[in-house]
Amino acid sequence: MSIFIQILFNSLETGSILALATMGIILIFRTSKAFNYAQGAISMFCAFIAAYFMANTGANVFISTIVGVLGAVGVGVIIDRVVIKRMIKLHSVSKQIVTLGLVIVFLGLAPMFFGNIPYTYRRFAQGTHSIFGATITYSAMVNIAIGIAIMVALFFVIQKTKWGLAVRATASNDVVARMMGIPTSIVTMGAWAVAAALGSLAAMMVAPTTTVNFVMMDSIQITALLACVLGGLGTFFGPVFAAYLIALARNLISFYISSVWADAIVYLLILGILLISPNGIFGKKLVKKV
Amino acid sequence: MNVLALYKKSRPYSSYVIFGVLLALAPLMVNLGVLRFFHLTLIAGVVIYAIVALGLNLLMGYAGLVSLGTAAFMGVGAYLTAFFTQDLGMDFLPSIVLTVVITSILGILVGLLSLRVEGFFLAMATLAVAEILRQVFIEFTGFTNSFVGRTANFPEFFGFTMNRNQTFILLVVFLVLAMFVTQSFANSYTGRALSAMRGSEAAASAMGINIFKYRLIAFSVSTAYAGLGGALYMHFIRFTFPNVWMFTLSLMLFAVVVIGGVRSVAGTVVGAFVVFGVPDLILVNIPVIGDINGMAFVFTGVLIIVVVMYYPAGLIYIWHDIKVLVHKVRGRGKV
Repeated sequence: MSIFIQILFNSLETGSILALATMGIILIFRTSKAFNYAQGAISMFCAFIAAYFMANTGANVFISTIVGVLGAVGVGVIIDRVVIKRMIKLHSVSKQIVTLGLVIVFLGLAPMFFGNIPYTYRRFAQGTHSIFGATITYSAMVNIAIGIAIMVALFFVIQKTKWGLAVRATASNDVVARMMGIPTSIVTMGAWAVAAALGSLAAMMVAPTTTVNFVMMDSIQITALLACVLGGLGTFFGPVFAAYLIALARNLISFYISSVWADAIVYLLILGILLISPNGIFGKKLVKKV
Repeated sequence: MNVLALYKKSRPYSSYVIFGVLLALAPLMVNLGVLRFFHLTLIAGVVIYAIVALGLNLLMGYAGLVSLGTAAFMGVGAYLTAFFTQDLGMDFLPSIVLTVVITSILGILVGLLSLRVEGFFLAMATLAVAEILRQVFIEFTGFTNSFVGRTANFPEFFGFTMNRNQTFILLVVFLVLAMFVTQSFANSYTGRALSAMRGSEAAASAMGINIFKYRLIAFSVSTAYAGLGGALYMHFIRFTFPNVWMFTLSLMLFAVVVIGGVRSVAGTVVGAFVVFGVPDLILVNIPVIGDINGMAFVFTGVLIIVVVMYYPAGLIYIWHDIKVLVHKVRGRGKV
């Protein structure tokens, strides 16, 4: 029992990190109609900003994290104004290639500003607590709480507020939304800023377990992309649910079946689910017109 | 428009041969001291990635199917040929034939996915396949030697071993052959069937084209190119380990096709040169800028973004635009 609770908490923690990254990708996908392959690279860069700030000023982890998130918002706005705004009319495949270009740009900018040495990043909180025989670190609790709080807040904003309505309208049909007087350009810019912030928050949660380095977000980026398609691209809720599901499945498989093959088995399961329901778990069937 | 010009437009084989001969002079340039030793490795990389990208162009450009697993399929080719030549002691040619056959069968298996899953979902499904393959590269140590890496030799024919320059010329021969095959494939019945399928699947199947069959063909041919590219990589670079075949490489190959020009054979080669050759061949030689840490990456990234923004149809059309510009300047109107 205690083992199962331990797995559950671990899954909630990795799930929260994954859900933040996934939410960023799906936000951009729905408003800009392109997968953002650069999400991981942008988060990595912003984690470097936070870690650099922490190392050079000795600020505590919360202030550094806020600096990193603000940096991410800035980076998101700059990317949108400089690149994304100018290519609204491009085909979505071309947009995805542009985000690939951004990946390479950030992989080059990071060593240019911060050097080739990895940074360390402190946890949000120290110490552990024991619940039903399972040991949970305080930092895991903080991560879980931040993840769930942000998800709840975002879903509230998207479903209940006027700005959320604008986001949903842009996601559903940006041309008509613009005709109805919705400032789609600002919505897209906001989506990029929020997505970058969410991704870098995920990166700063990952950072204490590894280091702040150039490849820290690679596997999370790939899993988040898969979570998007597993959950279905038609909703905001589906991919986030899929992110928690993937985290749970991976932890269960790595404990009960094989820790080495856990990722591969999870990917096989995702492929299996896609074969059964080709538009993801919550996806709607697209009707093609001839 | 005379017949000869039309023929040359649809079958520019002679230009490919001339291009190949010029490219094959690179080892001579190295011996004369015009190019440096490492330049040959870079150019060989461009040649290999161009071969792989030609296959991806068939899949993306003609069939309209997106694959993000190309790097992993290259890896399969590389490990297979290493296994055949090093462990089983086979010659280069049978090994490469077997590698291509096995990877094309793998392509058919992956293509089965495309019968159910479409668009973005298909791209991500191939990504999942690639990640599973990469896990196999890491864990099947008996076959791949994991992170220690696998080695191979330069190609051997009937007891004769090629040296580095000869292997380079062999790569160029394979590239020219691949360009020939791609161009004829595109002009063939199958190629036209794929084009029809891309335009409208409903219309294509109404015209009697078997969608499933041609999707599988497209996947298997594209994967065979990737396998061939991986095998050639293995015999030229002679070393590989799992981190070579990462997601980023698949994305770069994807970029090669889009940047060079979808459905253009020459464009694909230009794209491969821009993505894999320009940063290391040209940029590092510029003083000051070449010394800044990470500058090559930034340059490549910005180049990709700029090309996609201003030449969404592909860099190969820049030549046409220059001609138009020249005519305008001379006051002769449009071409």
